[in-house]
Amino acid sequence: MSDLQHHLNIQRGDVGRYVLLPGDPGRCEPIAALFDNPRHVATNREYVTYTGTLEGVPVSVVSTGIGCPSTAIAVEELIKTGADTFIRVGTSGSIQTDTPSGHLAIVTAAIRDEGTTSHYLPIEFPAIAHPQIVDALSSAAKTMGAETLSGVSQSKDSFYGEVEPDRMPMASRLKDRWLAWRRGGAICSEMEASALFILSSMYGARAGGVMHMMGVGPDLDPRREKLLSTAVESLRVLIRQDKEDVQWP
Amino acid sequence: MAMHKDDNKEYHIQVAPGEVGRYVFLPGDPGRCEPIARFFDEPKLVAQNREYETWTGYLDGEMVSVTSTGIGCPSAAIAMEELVKVGSDTFVRVGTSGSMQERIKPGDVGIIHGAIRDEGTTSHYLPIEFPAVADVDITRALATGARAVGKTVHVGISQSKDSFYGQHEPGRMPVASRLEDRWTAWMAGGAICSEMEAAALFIVASTLGVRAGGIMMILGHPDQSPMTPDELEAGSVENLLPAAISGMRELIRQDREAASA
Repeated sequence: MSDLQHHLNIQRGDVGRYVLLPGDPGRCEPIAALFDNPRHVATNREYVTYTGTLEGVPVSVVSTGIGCPSTAIAVEELIKTGADTFIRVGTSGSIQTDTPSGHLAIVTAAIRDEGTTSHYLPIEFPAIAHPQIVDALSSAAKTMGAETLSGVSQSKDSFYGEVEPDRMPMASRLKDRWLAWRRGGAICSEMEASALFILSSMYGARAGGVMHMMGVGPDLDPRREKLLSTAVESLRVLIRQDKEDVQWP
Repeated sequence: MAMHKDDNKEYHIQVAPGEVGRYVFLPGDPGRCEPIARFFDEPKLVAQNREYETWTGYLDGEMVSVTSTGIGCPSAAIAMEELVKVGSDTFVRVGTSGSMQERIKPGDVGIIHGAIRDEGTTSHYLPIEFPAVADVDITRALATGARAVGKTVHVGISQSKDSFYGQHEPGRMPVASRLEDRWTAWMAGGAICSEMEAAALFIVASTLGVRAGGIMMILGHPDQSPMTPDELEAGSVENLLPAAISGMRELIRQDREAASA
């Protein structure tokens, strides 16, 4: 019986256990170029899938589109087709005022400032990255010479609510909450991590995220080379740990 | 602050700067402070006020303290606020918790890396969408330390609740069906254990820019069925303390290694 997935247009065997998740379909091919033996698997809507290998093990990259609604669909269908380890890769705004542009955020948890995950779990439940992925990303960033911060990300549903809050009818609430996130120590703002983390908690999968941060000064990584190489290197770290059956920590 | 009883002592915990270490264990029960302090070198009682009891000593040459928080997030938030004011920056919650998964047995150890904010205190700090998350370095050290003394370790999310009897006897509460539905949801979300303080520690830590984590003895069963005598024995909190001390030593070792790198 075919288990062809409704949105991703993939079935079991098409993807590896390890999956990188950019938002932008246009970023799948450049990421796949860093795999061994990359091949295009499927394109449907905003979902583009490539599969290759790293350390001899199948790995994939699948775009989620923008936002938690389309991300939740991608993660559901990837888990149904055998994936269990996810790393979100993308761009984010910085929340603290002194973050240099191009530093990488290693996301440890996410603010559930979105509507999707309340369809899964009550809002009090934390959206948390798996600590093994956090450690793998930190070690990969060190190997790649990337500057990093680790911490909490805001996962929001409205891009323009963040970047142009003043023109929204909800301006004062948006600005008050932004200040609260900053004072709570959150480091970056993006639109998909909380869905990835909540679904991964439910299904016992491992998830994490690495984000290029837009901040102050000239961009230290304008072509996202350190972002992409760190993400790919972190998969190598995890694959090696899994081959040795390493129990984190 | 004008409300201080003594010029340089904090209002509730009655501790002054210099009397506690950077590293602090946070049990709920004041009666658990002395048994923890007995693992320290040169332990001495620093203060006792209300539910707050504080001891200070040394582990591997590092000044380490233990302060009880009392039960619940309201008193735990006060303890942490005041400890940060007198110089502490690294907090390890140590205590008991109820199992939320059949595979997690009395006597196992739960290392909590996040908490469900099923309580009222932390909304006075940050909107409810903000995650209550532990420090990854502490989580790693506690898991490593607990495994080193032979414990079965589970790393995961705890439910931090405000009502003990709402968890243990939900059927007699007017909001019974809501309590039962939410308990089922936490289990389906993968939560590992239920306790009453972690969310406050994690949210206050994020707000104050300090580090917090938690190591819990697992007791009970997800369906609230009674424990056997063997399970009660395995789940005694005394069995947790060597794992907690081992985890703190590992954290001190990691911090020293990072500082010299």
